[in-house]
Amino acid sequence: MDTLKLEILTPNGEIFNGEALSVVLPGEEGEFGVLAGHASLTTLLTSGVVDVEKKDKSVEAIVISWGVVQVDEEKVIILVEGAAPIRGNNEAEIAQALDDAKKLIKDVADSSAAIAVVSSKIESAAQRLL
Amino acid sequence: MANLKDIQRQIKSVSNTQKTTGAMKLVSTAKLRRAEELAKRSRLYAQKMNQVIAEIAGRIECNKIGGIENCCFQKNDNPTMVDIIFVTADKGLCGGFNIQTIKAVNKLLKEYKEQNVKVRLRGIGKKGVEFFKYNEVELFDAVIDLSSKPDKARSDEFIKTSVEDFKEGRTEALHIVYNGYKNMITQELHVNKILPIDTDGFDCDDVQHSSMLDVEAENEEKMLDALVTRYVDYNMYYALIDSLAAEHSARMQAMDTATNNAKDMVKSLKVKFNKARQAAITTELIEIISGVESMK
Repeated sequence: MDTLKLEILTPNGEIFNGEALSVVLPGEEGEFGVLAGHASLTTLLTSGVVDVEKKDKSVEAIVISWGVVQVDEEKVIILVEGAAPIRGNNEAEIAQALDDAKKLIKDVADSSAAIAVVSSKIESAAQRLL
Repeated sequence: MANLKDIQRQIKSVSNTQKTTGAMKLVSTAKLRRAEELAKRSRLYAQKMNQVIAEIAGRIECNKIGGIENCCFQKNDNPTMVDIIFVTADKGLCGGFNIQTIKAVNKLLKEYKEQNVKVRLRGIGKKGVEFFKYNEVELFDAVIDLSSKPDKARSDEFIKTSVEDFKEGRTEALHIVYNGYKNMITQELHVNKILPIDTDGFDCDDVQHSSMLDVEAENEEKMLDALVTRYVDYNMYYALIDSLAAEHSARMQAMDTATNNAKDMVKSLKVKFNKARQAAITTELIEIISGVESMK
């Protein structure tokens, strides 16, 4: 399967830079998935969860606040204001990442429904890691 | 003999100055490390942001996206009013750091004056503001303590007026002039034209070959607007942090040179002191010897 080059950048540095099989993004008008070879597209992202399917088929969830994505045939560049990846090598680290992500989403999301959706998503993402 | 004392006093005062400049260098080095870290982390984001914007601008220029009439992308060849924002340090003692920025601003001012364009000068940083006040150049507004403590919220607030005025057609261009960080020993002067977004140097052929997903123009208009605002905000903020890193590196360098100069000065003063001392001894000896000779 083809891979796409994915870059996720925040003002505080790089969150992700590497190959991915697919990525699911929280667009302004709804979620959309991107595979390698996608047509060029530039759109805004709202606060939500970015699911990155990595080369080894594992899925990493990254919580983002406002952002913009630029997609073309071989690469996807995501610029976000704030991001919190759900990752870690042990339970404590994952729990910490989860807390950070929840804090981020509480700061930016305006409705409790949106917060709840994101929370449940990251909870299940964290479950997968444990 | 008074001469000897004078030299001694001089040596003391110069070595005191040396201590001060040495300490200031250390302080700047520590501050530079933090500022540099911040600037480095943001640099990639700023670059990509500019890339994305440039590509969109290019696509609009090459008519790949139809029906876009966002003023931020439209060139105006005959401006009547432009905004110039400059960023200088709040403190001096950093070599030619501030003066370089001021010179660049003056050059820009002159260019616009020749074209009969009115300029609104907006300043950040005490040194630049003081310079233009002293030279009786009118400043539209000035912020003093933003360049030493860059703050995203305050920088957004500052740039907002310029963006709004541009969008409503009161101004036709926006420039940001600042001295940025290149590496530990060099600073790089940036004169950036932020608005309207420059579409020069974009290769239309590249765009024609790539496929493009069509999205409704109404949505695009809104998207571009949000994007441009973020782009300008971030460029302003980045100018501030980049300038801060550059300021510290410039100061570090200036203080290093000052310390070295002081060291050289102490050395030559010491030679002078020893010569004077020797001369005094010789004179004394001659006096004694000639005294003895005359008694014979």
